[in-house]
Amino acid sequence: MPQNETIQDLGLDEYKYDFVTPSKPVFQTQKGLSEEVVRQISAHKEEPEWMLEFRLKALRIYQSKPMPAWGGDLSGLEAVLDEIYYYVRPQDRMGHSWDEVPQEIKDTFEKLGIPEAERKILAGVGAQYESEMVYHSLRKEWEERGVIFDSIEDGLRNHPELFREHFATIVPPQDNKFAAMNSAVWSGGSFVYIPKGVKLETPLQAYFRVNQERMGQFERTLIIVDEGANAHYIEGCTAPVYSTESFHSGVIEIVLKRNARFRYTTIQNWSNNMYNLVTQRAMVHEGAHMEWLDGNLGSKLTMKYPSCYLVGEGAHGEILSIAYAGTGQHQDTGGKVVHVAPRTTSSIVSKSISKGHGRASYRGLLKVHEGAHQARSNVECDALLINDTSRTDTYPYIEIEEHDANVGHEASVSKIGEEQLFYLTSRGIPEDEAMAMIVRGFIEPIAKELPLEYAVELNRLIELEMEGSVG
Amino acid sequence: MTTATVMEGVTDALNAAAVARVSADEPAWLRERRDHAREVYERTPMPTTRLEEWRYTDLRRKLDFAPLKLSAAPTAPDRFEWWPMRLREAMAQDREASGHLVIIDGRVVHADVAAELAGKGVVLMSLHEAVQKHEDLVREYLATRAVPPEEGKFAALNAALWNDGIFLLVPRGVRLDLPVRVTRWYSESGVAYFSRTLIVAETASQVSFVDEVLSDDFAAQTLTSSAVEVFALDGAKVQYVAVQRLGRGGFYQSVQRTLAERDATLDTLNVALGGTTTRVDLNARLLGPGSNSDMLGLYFGDADQHFDFNTSQDHAAPNAGSDLLYKGALDGRSRAAFRGIIRVHKGAQRTDAYQKIRNILLSPEARADSLPNLEIEADDVKCSHGATVGELDAEAKFYLMSRGMSRTQAERLVVLGFLGEVLSRLPLGGVSEKVTRVIQEKLKHHV
Repeated sequence: MPQNETIQDLGLDEYKYDFVTPSKPVFQTQKGLSEEVVRQISAHKEEPEWMLEFRLKALRIYQSKPMPAWGGDLSGLEAVLDEIYYYVRPQDRMGHSWDEVPQEIKDTFEKLGIPEAERKILAGVGAQYESEMVYHSLRKEWEERGVIFDSIEDGLRNHPELFREHFATIVPPQDNKFAAMNSAVWSGGSFVYIPKGVKLETPLQAYFRVNQERMGQFERTLIIVDEGANAHYIEGCTAPVYSTESFHSGVIEIVLKRNARFRYTTIQNWSNNMYNLVTQRAMVHEGAHMEWLDGNLGSKLTMKYPSCYLVGEGAHGEILSIAYAGTGQHQDTGGKVVHVAPRTTSSIVSKSISKGHGRASYRGLLKVHEGAHQARSNVECDALLINDTSRTDTYPYIEIEEHDANVGHEASVSKIGEEQLFYLTSRGIPEDEAMAMIVRGFIEPIAKELPLEYAVELNRLIELEMEGSVG
Repeated sequence: MTTATVMEGVTDALNAAAVARVSADEPAWLRERRDHAREVYERTPMPTTRLEEWRYTDLRRKLDFAPLKLSAAPTAPDRFEWWPMRLREAMAQDREASGHLVIIDGRVVHADVAAELAGKGVVLMSLHEAVQKHEDLVREYLATRAVPPEEGKFAALNAALWNDGIFLLVPRGVRLDLPVRVTRWYSESGVAYFSRTLIVAETASQVSFVDEVLSDDFAAQTLTSSAVEVFALDGAKVQYVAVQRLGRGGFYQSVQRTLAERDATLDTLNVALGGTTTRVDLNARLLGPGSNSDMLGLYFGDADQHFDFNTSQDHAAPNAGSDLLYKGALDGRSRAAFRGIIRVHKGAQRTDAYQKIRNILLSPEARADSLPNLEIEADDVKCSHGATVGELDAEAKFYLMSRGMSRTQAERLVVLGFLGEVLSRLPLGGVSEKVTRVIQEKLKHHV
């Protein structure tokens, strides 16, 4: 089939981040997860006693919870979890200026284009390498206005009260097995506070890189957006390709106070040997507006459902999700919106592309609790199948307990239409280019939301996977 | 057989001795099938809400097996004048038919087929009679390919304990212009009824089948369990309609499987109006190229009624279509759950499969859960699904009120219009009118 051959050339499967930097960690725990490992992590971070207690309690919860029986195939995961390193410390202390970062780590991020992006326009940049943030900086003007953008460890050290008030309140360790695991061994991630009324004009960005083989990354991010504040946070993730599997399990907690606005953008481009099981949740208070923009392009298996809990009257939640699954990949992604307060509104738009033997699943929950009067929600899922070996699934849970709610869900599955293709080729556009145009058109509603003008490397990522031209 | 869960649901009435009693006079193969089904039943754990298929119906709260007895009704009257008044009324409201079958308390008391059709080989009779007169056919199709006991706890229990049922055979090329009408009446409280329906429509035949279930309110919980197996062979056209009008206290449980072979059309309509709990498991299998299934559903709930529909559209062949539309209106504290899945198996190219669920909530305490799933393993397909939950159409209501209708009158009319869309998709003499009447009756309680 010529059509399928053409699509092979779109460059969708090219992975540009497959390079390893030779580096020696200053410390790492022994393989596998145990109480000893948890104590070592806590000791290395010189944490207060309550945090060690919290970690140990979470470890017990993790051990007591069964593996999820739904979602992707986790049957090979247990063997992986026994073989990985849960904590790898790449350097002694975090840099605040680029010069302080060790050369080999610097090389890695240079290759990923981090400082370049920062120079351009970002309000702040963080970079995590293995288990620790190796670099964090924030523009002076924002620092002066009280914005905090730091590693999560520095958040705990320097802002203990604010930290403790919110930490693990949005995603408690009991929430799910991997949230419990993260709570036991978390390391790295960002701590963000946007003060009342402060509107960040450019995004904050964090970059996550796994370099070493058999490594587990467990970052933890806590973001507090105070009343009327407005900000945008972007994260990107990459790793080299190894023959053994790696593991990433982050927990992202976000609080939006009254009338705050926040957008969280993820461009996940892990290598195809990565299990990526992430819990992301925002607590959205009165009149606040939360947006998740979730791009899943890499990993072997991703299970990630960014969620909005609309707990204040008039709160709004939005999830834009795009997934690409090539051969050897299963993207089990989607979103969750829970309407608790009256007059809350939400929308979920999901687009997925399955190619080769890839499988993209949408899994979502839309829940309207009793008392959430006049809640409005709309869910739209579109799937594009490239080959006859590709697979797509849609599992939308819709649970409505309030009669004056108004919710809708729609999903469709299609292949690249012969008619579309015929139309374009009859205009003199070569078939391969026409294919690329159709794919671009399919993801355009979400792609246009990406902050392309801000983040150069994000732009490159999405172009590589989705908009790559034919050679 | 090592854990306590293994014997779940085995009670004084639902056990090996009961199976031995119902199968006493049956041929050996059937006795063996029942025994096997009983074994499957005993080792299958009771479904819990941890199972996706049972997420929205908690059997521990909804059904108590312990006190359920098997029917002890003496041989039911076979004379029309002695039948319950409501049964006779329901039959009188029906228009003409190709044949009738009447079941009272689980026993077939009457069956007739137009002489001309009987002459062409159409068979409508009790399953017991069919076991004797059409043994080979029954043996081939009963609880084998469509609803074997391995399908689940209820399918196994039914296959072990069914006490009567319906057998309909439409021979090759025979087309029935008028529907076959079945009317059932249940009178005993605290009883578990098990019945089966087996419909075989041979190549290029055509038939409509309407099955109406009635009862008064039950003093104690009563289970009516049914297993429905419908085979549409090459080019056959079959309509299967179930109208559930049980009284309160009824637990209506129905496992339905429709198998459509090459170029066959096999449409279903499930109307659920009565009972306290309704659970329908409908699986449409598109086995032959060019086959098609329209799957319609309609329910109206009030008070504490609970509806749970679990449907699947299995596309195993190319060029087949399926189109599902379920609509419900929920008043009082009633609750409806819909879980449906479209599965397009490998090689089922050029599938057109659709699924649409619409609920309106008429009261603050009503609740609706929808879970429409897609699993697609072929690339050249058109599949979509949609689900909505909302209030009554405010504009339509406003329009009617501006024409002088009261709010209540307007709401009743809008509900009728909303549900009417389903009935208009499957026009079948008398069914639409009858269902509309029952909904109107129920709507009188909506204020």
